[in-house]
Amino acid sequence: MSRFFRSGDDSSSESSSDEEELYSEEEEAEKAVVESEEEDSEDEDEDEDGSGEDSSDEEGAKKTGASRFLRGESSESEDSDEDQPKTVKSAKDKRFAELESTIDAIEKKQKINDWGAVSNEFDKLIRQAVKMTERGQVPKFYIKAIVELEDAMNETISKQKVTPKKMNAISARGLNAVKQKIKKLKQDHQTEVDRYREDPLDFLASDEEEEEVAAPKPKKTKAEAYTERVEQQDDDGFETVIKGGRTLQFTPDSIFKHLRTILESRGKKNTDRLEQIRIMEKLHAVANTPYQTIRVLLTLVSARFDLGSGTSNAMPLEQWKAAEKELSTLFEVLEQNPDHIVLENAEEWDDDDKPPTLQPGEKHIKVPGSIVSYVERLDDELTRSLQTIDPHTSEYIERLTDEGALYNVIFRGLLYYETLGKELQIPQDSLNRIVMRRLEHVYFKPAQVVKILEENAWKPVPATVESVITPRGSITDATQLLNVLCNYLFINSEGIIRARAMLCQIYFLALHDEYYKARDMMLMSHLQETINSFDVQTQILYNRTLVQVGLCAFRKGLVYDAQNTLQEICGSGRQKELLAQGVMIQRFAQVSPEQERLEKQRQLPFHMHINLELLECVYLTCSMLLEIPLLAQTGSSPDIKKRVISKTYRRMLEYHERQIFTGPPENTRDHVMQASRALAAGEWKKAINFVHSIKIWELMPNTEEIKTMLSKQIQEEGLRTYLFTYAPFYDTLAVSTLSSMFELDDRKVASIVSKMISHEELAAALDQVTSTVIFRKGVELSRLQSLALTLSDKAAALIETNERTLEQRTQGTANAFDRRGGQNQRGGRGGGQKTGRGGARTGGTGQRQAGGTQFTGGVLGGAVRG
Amino acid sequence: MADYDLLPKLLPFLDRHLIFPLLEHSAGRIPEDADDTALRPITKAKYELLKSTNMTDFVGNLQAELEGLDEPPAEFDEKRQKVIQRLEQFEESTSKLIDLLGREDVVGNLRSDKVANLEFLKNDHDVTIEMVNALYDFGNFQYSCGNYGAAADLLYQFRVLSTDNDKVAAATWGKLASEILTTNWEASVEELNKVKESIDTKLFSNPLAQLQQRTWLIHWGLFPLFNDDKARDQLLELFFSPAYINTVQTSSPWILRYLTAAVITGRNRTRNSGQHQKQLKDIIRIVKQEAYEYTDPITDFIRALYVDFDFEEAQRQLSLAEEVCRSDFFLLAAADTFVDCARHLISESYCKIHARIDIKDLSARLGLGQDDGEKWIVNLIRDTRVDAKIDYKEGTVVMNHPPSSVYQQVIERTKGGFFRTQVLTAAVAR
Repeated sequence: MSRFFRSGDDSSSESSSDEEELYSEEEEAEKAVVESEEEDSEDEDEDEDGSGEDSSDEEGAKKTGASRFLRGESSESEDSDEDQPKTVKSAKDKRFAELESTIDAIEKKQKINDWGAVSNEFDKLIRQAVKMTERGQVPKFYIKAIVELEDAMNETISKQKVTPKKMNAISARGLNAVKQKIKKLKQDHQTEVDRYREDPLDFLASDEEEEEVAAPKPKKTKAEAYTERVEQQDDDGFETVIKGGRTLQFTPDSIFKHLRTILESRGKKNTDRLEQIRIMEKLHAVANTPYQTIRVLLTLVSARFDLGSGTSNAMPLEQWKAAEKELSTLFEVLEQNPDHIVLENAEEWDDDDKPPTLQPGEKHIKVPGSIVSYVERLDDELTRSLQTIDPHTSEYIERLTDEGALYNVIFRGLLYYETLGKELQIPQDSLNRIVMRRLEHVYFKPAQVVKILEENAWKPVPATVESVITPRGSITDATQLLNVLCNYLFINSEGIIRARAMLCQIYFLALHDEYYKARDMMLMSHLQETINSFDVQTQILYNRTLVQVGLCAFRKGLVYDAQNTLQEICGSGRQKELLAQGVMIQRFAQVSPEQERLEKQRQLPFHMHINLELLECVYLTCSMLLEIPLLAQTGSSPDIKKRVISKTYRRMLEYHERQIFTGPPENTRDHVMQASRALAAGEWKKAINFVHSIKIWELMPNTEEIKTMLSKQIQEEGLRTYLFTYAPFYDTLAVSTLSSMFELDDRKVASIVSKMISHEELAAALDQVTSTVIFRKGVELSRLQSLALTLSDKAAALIETNERTLEQRTQGTANAFDRRGGQNQRGGRGGGQKTGRGGARTGGTGQRQAGGTQFTGGVLGGAVRG
Repeated sequence: MADYDLLPKLLPFLDRHLIFPLLEHSAGRIPEDADDTALRPITKAKYELLKSTNMTDFVGNLQAELEGLDEPPAEFDEKRQKVIQRLEQFEESTSKLIDLLGREDVVGNLRSDKVANLEFLKNDHDVTIEMVNALYDFGNFQYSCGNYGAAADLLYQFRVLSTDNDKVAAATWGKLASEILTTNWEASVEELNKVKESIDTKLFSNPLAQLQQRTWLIHWGLFPLFNDDKARDQLLELFFSPAYINTVQTSSPWILRYLTAAVITGRNRTRNSGQHQKQLKDIIRIVKQEAYEYTDPITDFIRALYVDFDFEEAQRQLSLAEEVCRSDFFLLAAADTFVDCARHLISESYCKIHARIDIKDLSARLGLGQDDGEKWIVNLIRDTRVDAKIDYKEGTVVMNHPPSSVYQQVIERTKGGFFRTQVLTAAVAR
């Protein structure tokens, strides 16, 4: 109803019109009061304009009657068109309009990054504004424009810093000019700017009030000002009557008419959604047949969802709660009236006057609507709101409690679809989707929590309703529930949903320490080969699952497997991004706002996060246990130095060793690094101390067990490292000395030494009689010898690569070399097929960046495919 | 030992008739003087097993034994009559075809093309498809009666003529079972390969069925594996091929016991020691990998010896493993060889690691007395060409480990290079 709105018309910026909308109704209420007061205080010459419009607006409103709230853009602009010939636009108004259009232009130019043009427009704006400010009046939207422009400018500048691409000269100059001017302007209007910064909405609201103060002033120009006023008042008075009377209109009969009008206005600009919701709430109260209730509820819930339809902002809390409640009510109504069903593909009922009745031969009255979409939407909205809330506040926890309610809704939805499915053909897809949602709320939780969720979910369900997939009472523990849900999806779904179900189950198994099951499933799924072709969400889930499997391996004490599994994610240095637990700052690549928004949307809510510090700690510890002996082993001969298990770890270690002064360890990384140094020097006790003093172990269940496991590993690896490092300096070494040095029993020491000898890592032999290790002398190779060895290795590798290349080029059909060496040269008999398959497999793993195939049992999954 | 009895695990993957020898074996293991109560469950099991077959006489006797009757109940007579009746019926319906197939001139006219054969028989001798199918049914019936030899012949004839893929596959399985039961190992290996091929080709698009049938095949293959020396190499190679080793890992890890035993006992038999080394390496890797799913003394032995290098533990497991072998249907015959080969493995790896060994200690490790031990070691030194000497005064063996020469290493590594390059060039030129 404000002037800017009208003159700005369609082209006026989106944001301002939104704000405008919000205020328009409050304004109206105020208007009656304000305007009556205003009469005495008018003293300026400009007049009438606003009031004239107001009245015409009101008239328009009267004409359209009930659909007053639905008045779209068209009626609005029509209004102003009518006004224009009638009222002579005051100079001030003109200036306002000019100002508005200039701001508009600025915004447009700014969007296409044409700062040269922005600068020109901005000059114009300043000139126009100066005229107005001379009258002692700073338009609020002018301030707003300045602030917005400043923001945009800052953003551009900061972006400019990170992109290598240069802006063109004109733009750059323009940008600088704008920067200077804004700086100056800001000083002039410091207070206003500050106020706006503090609370833009509030500022603009006060703006409205002030405008109202100003608005009646123009009314004076017309002679009939007074009468107008009276009329105006009358109008207002009349309107309230209407408002009062309107409640009377909400009769059960008119429900459909209301709904229709609401539905028609959906998606149009300027529809006041809140008001619509209010109407529908009233409609819901008066609805007396199940059909009406269902229709109203369906429309109401979707209207509520429309409120949060912006891409970035979440739905307001109370709206969410209301929607949740209404969905529950809907389920209740549907349960009580089994003859009414909601179906996606039901036909619209066009006749508003009489509701559909049961036709003979038909069992159900079908109402169009999609329960599953509502449930999904509700879920998404909760996630969205959790994304925006700071996770360290109590607000987050409060919000999180709503998840229970949400789970109930999902569960009820599932039950509903199941009961429907008994009698009717419903698309399997909807059922799959809803089962998937349920699964997604369960899979990352510990068993106890799931149990509570389940129990709560069953409580409100009437005893008559039964679930086929998960019968009441039969599912007592979470593992079973997961199994049942996943198996259902394995059988009934395909593609992404099936893959997701599989990942969820693996995640759950890994979380509950079922390492081997999880690993085997992971391998059997063959997802590591196809995961690249899935959507990002699923890839994230895959990464999460992979990490969880790695952590599980670590808890089991399988250091090698843990390191291998985590390598892909943790070695990349982009854990945050890969697990969707935070946006990484891109150093080199420019991220478009669109991309950034998408990325933000993908972020997982905090309660689903995997602790990154713990992850890093586990990864580094594993790397330490593998790398330190390796470093000690390769230390003496420079030729095999190439073998690196974890580049990340090596880099950190090198950095740490370069430091001239190392203080006491502060963070996890420091602890592991210092432990590594101690371990490398053979001081295993110190290493254990360092590792044990890492605080984050507390987050693991069974902290003590893990610490004991780590001590054991460090002892053994310490022994190995010691042997590698100091072997050249000994002739013989008593086993008992070693065992006392590393506090291991003789048998263990002997076994470790034997293993090293047997694998030819150590040039030594055991003397059983005296129980000593005898180190062989003269095994060091001369430079020429080691080079010759390297050369032969490389030659072998070359042949291997050549063979593989040829195989890939010919898809393994052209020839049949047995890559298993010259032992069984059976010629081409069947060998071609075998190697062909092998080639295909290795090819597949090459592309995949994830470490699934690095599992020791990499071939395991091949059994199923054969 | 009951813990290590694999019978319950094997049962689901074997045919009724194949299970019978296993049951017989476990019945045989019960000492003579044990009372009936020990024997009864097994007799009962036999009865349940064979109840649905047509071996009425035998089943009747079993029933009598169970019930404590002197002679089988009357119903079995009746059944017997019926069986004989049907037998005659079948004979009648297939007599013509069998007759035809026995005639030189007819067989001489058959070609490799099945469809043409059928056409030819139809035109010249009025053979209908029903008659061919009757062969199959008759074979099935003979098998069920326990006439395995006859069944094998019938199924063979059926297979020559039939074009029905499913039935041919079934007939191949049937023939395999018949050959196994008539202990005709050579033929059974042949059949085994046929089944394997049909699994590879026919079920290509159905991985689950493939997995299942491979599991069966592996179980059935155990019979020839441990009974026929000639088949062993071929079968082991089959079992170690990727598809089958994966099947073992996925659906039947207990087969690892037999694989391990077969590899260990195959030590001095195989002409090709490289192959044996490779298989040993494979089995070590797989045993280690599957340790979470399956362990028994035999796999534990391998693990203690080659993964943990814990010789005491290996020794302990060996004595357990010997017992297991002696009570296992398949391994019974190979038990002595197994222990012998296992000792060799222990001493081999022991000698490789140690420079000086006390003879007494080594003998204890091998589970032998001191004199036996010395003899054993002398034999070992002679057989395996270990560079070692016995110091009599000290009672020790002194090993001499020559460091592997660099020249030798380089030669080893580049050995296959020329051949492979040649193959490669040939392939490129093509």
